Amino acid sequence: MPAVCLYFEVHQPFRLNRFSVFSIGERINPAGTYFNHELNEKVFEKVARKCYLPTNQLLLDLIESFNGRLKVSFSITGTFMEYCDAHMPEVMESFRDLVKTGCVDLISETYYHSLASLFDDLTEFEEQVKLHRDTIMSRFGFTPTVFRNTEAIYDNRIAKKVEELGFKGIITEGTEKVLQWRSPNYLYKPVSSGNLKVLLRNYKLSDDVAFRFSSVEWSEFPLTADKFASWVAGSEGDVVNIFMDYETFGEHQWPETGIFEFLRHFPQEVVEKHGLEFVTVGEAVNRFNPVGEIDVPFAISWADTERDVSTWLGNDMQVACFNELKEIGRMVKEKDKPELLKLWRLLQTSDHLYYLSTKGLADGTVHKYFSPYEHPYEGFINYMNILQDLKQRVMSE
Amino acid sequence: MKIAMIGWEYPPFKVGGLGTHCYGLTKALADLDVKIDFFMPKFSSGKPEGSKNLNIKEVGITKVFPYDRPYEEALDDDFFESVYTYNRLCAEKINGCYELVHCHDWLTMQAGIAVKKKLGIPLVLTVHSTEYDRCGGIYPNEWFINIEKTGMENADRIIAVSNFTKRIIVEKYGIPEEKIRVVHNAVSPIGEGKKRKKIVLFLGRLTIQKGPEFFLRAAKRVLEKEDCLFVVAGSGDLLPRLVNLAVKLDIADKVMFTGPLTDEEVKHIYQISSVYVLPSVSEPFGITALEAVSAGTPTIISKTAGVSEVLKNSLVVDFWDVDEMANKIVALLRYKPLHKMLSENAKKEVAFFTWDRTAEKTLEVYNEVV
Repeated sequence: MPAVCLYFEVHQPFRLNRFSVFSIGERINPAGTYFNHELNEKVFEKVARKCYLPTNQLLLDLIESFNGRLKVSFSITGTFMEYCDAHMPEVMESFRDLVKTGCVDLISETYYHSLASLFDDLTEFEEQVKLHRDTIMSRFGFTPTVFRNTEAIYDNRIAKKVEELGFKGIITEGTEKVLQWRSPNYLYKPVSSGNLKVLLRNYKLSDDVAFRFSSVEWSEFPLTADKFASWVAGSEGDVVNIFMDYETFGEHQWPETGIFEFLRHFPQEVVEKHGLEFVTVGEAVNRFNPVGEIDVPFAISWADTERDVSTWLGNDMQVACFNELKEIGRMVKEKDKPELLKLWRLLQTSDHLYYLSTKGLADGTVHKYFSPYEHPYEGFINYMNILQDLKQRVMSE
Repeated sequence: MKIAMIGWEYPPFKVGGLGTHCYGLTKALADLDVKIDFFMPKFSSGKPEGSKNLNIKEVGITKVFPYDRPYEEALDDDFFESVYTYNRLCAEKINGCYELVHCHDWLTMQAGIAVKKKLGIPLVLTVHSTEYDRCGGIYPNEWFINIEKTGMENADRIIAVSNFTKRIIVEKYGIPEEKIRVVHNAVSPIGEGKKRKKIVLFLGRLTIQKGPEFFLRAAKRVLEKEDCLFVVAGSGDLLPRLVNLAVKLDIADKVMFTGPLTDEEVKHIYQISSVYVLPSVSEPFGITALEAVSAGTPTIISKTAGVSEVLKNSLVVDFWDVDEMANKIVALLRYKPLHKMLSENAKKEVAFFTWDRTAEKTLEVYNEVV
């Protein structure tokens, strides 16, 4: 019977202010004008009250009552931690309490939840990973051993770099594109790598909770902890990786859907009824051996139905902004201006490009749900105007 | 099915969206084997052509084109007289075996009601605009409102050209929602042309309703950032005021007033423009946005225009927010990927806005009442 690995992504972007062409080049405080602090604070507080605080408390209670047999893993982005500092230190405190139990693993990633791994030069990527690692160390006294790139973006090149940076494991999507007939419930190793192990998200089981939990059209509705645990227990393999946005609890799935009751009862079903064991991502990597290789020459991710990077780079507007970001980066790195470097990095957060996606159909509605813009075209104008302003600032330094 | 339709204008004699609508709709309905007698006033020169299933029948003679809401001073006896005469003549002359009568806007409502009563057939009324749109938020005229209200009350079904218009009919005229159906307009594709210079286009009647003043105020802001030409195409009673405004804003050398254009000229100007702006204060639909898009020109549409409900690949603004309008114009002129994506995606989108589809939906409404 497989072990169960629960991992949650915890992230909030710095959403942008409305920024018109007429603001470009006006010499005003950019940090104040680029980001909509009021909106960001409001969103953060709302999500903290609906999700972060109650879910953390629930997990803490569960971990205590299961005497260490419930284990979970988190990735917490740098921008998220900055939010905690600025608005709600108690959120950070509650994560620290969880980490102190010893049943919680923390995962490494780029500090800004960026797409730096897709730049032709990986220096910036490396710097952001180190920045995140240092921050996790100073906040939690913890050194992550497993890496998850932004939205699980992965290819051979990224895997190689991540191994160079000293990680033992990396997380990505268990997509058929890569696995074909093979199961995501085993560990794999990247083609032509040494010892790095790849953990693959079981997207079917993960999305049963993250997306389908409250969907009345779904034939399995309602999803109970009992039923879900039996599916997990019935899976073949070494480890079932159930990875999702932390905001699933209480935010994407409202409390009324019964998501908290589901979470409350799930560990009991897993441990007591089915006799399965929870593992953290770090333990999974230590305990299990790869059963095969995966070869990923073109980047995959866990986003949208395409499971590639088209979510962020799928249209001309996104590519134009991404190229502009790279261009600004080249200039920023030549100047010794920490405040401009910081702005550039905050603008790299992948959400800014995600909002510009023009994909239709099912995915489009997901994009719309998360977007602060009425339309991706609006998002483009706004983001591009800000990039132009930053570019002018950097050039005039 | 055989129907009587009462219109006011029909190509080549048209001043607004009503003529374009009647043309597209009657042709497509005729293709669906609906037999139509289309009644319209006789103009001094020539007669529009009918086709299979479609007979154009001219009634009486008129000199005025009162599709626009005229200014107070123009509301003289002549104007009322020609509308009354036309409606009276229609009511007298429409005889025979029709399954329903379909009329458009206040100009033809009285005739519609009279024919309904005389022949005992259902009345379908399409609302292309209401007095609340035409007045642009200033002084709605009771006289028009009363005609419109009576027409709506007497209609067995009302076709609104947008949800925006449907809301007005429900909220301002107190008509029950159940009787209203929304059927959006369509467009006959224009085809792309070559864009050489940066041209920003306004095209429409120069009335308060259409918001040309906001266009000029946005132009002033745009010219602080970009060098381009602004074209104001069309005629209307605001023309002198707009010319003065352009001078006052010191942008007269960058604004071109074309006066009325022929159909060919309209197509051409759509094709060579880089951006089309529809800044209407209150626009039931706004067929011109679809025309511009079909010519490959990205559009910026007022939020208070019905077309913004259906054209997803466009930029929307509040008509009064000239800074934001200017922001979006500059963005379209500057950021090529944005221009390209809007142009391509909107073109694909309007390919679904066919008169065949509009006619099918209209026929569904007919079938509800006969």
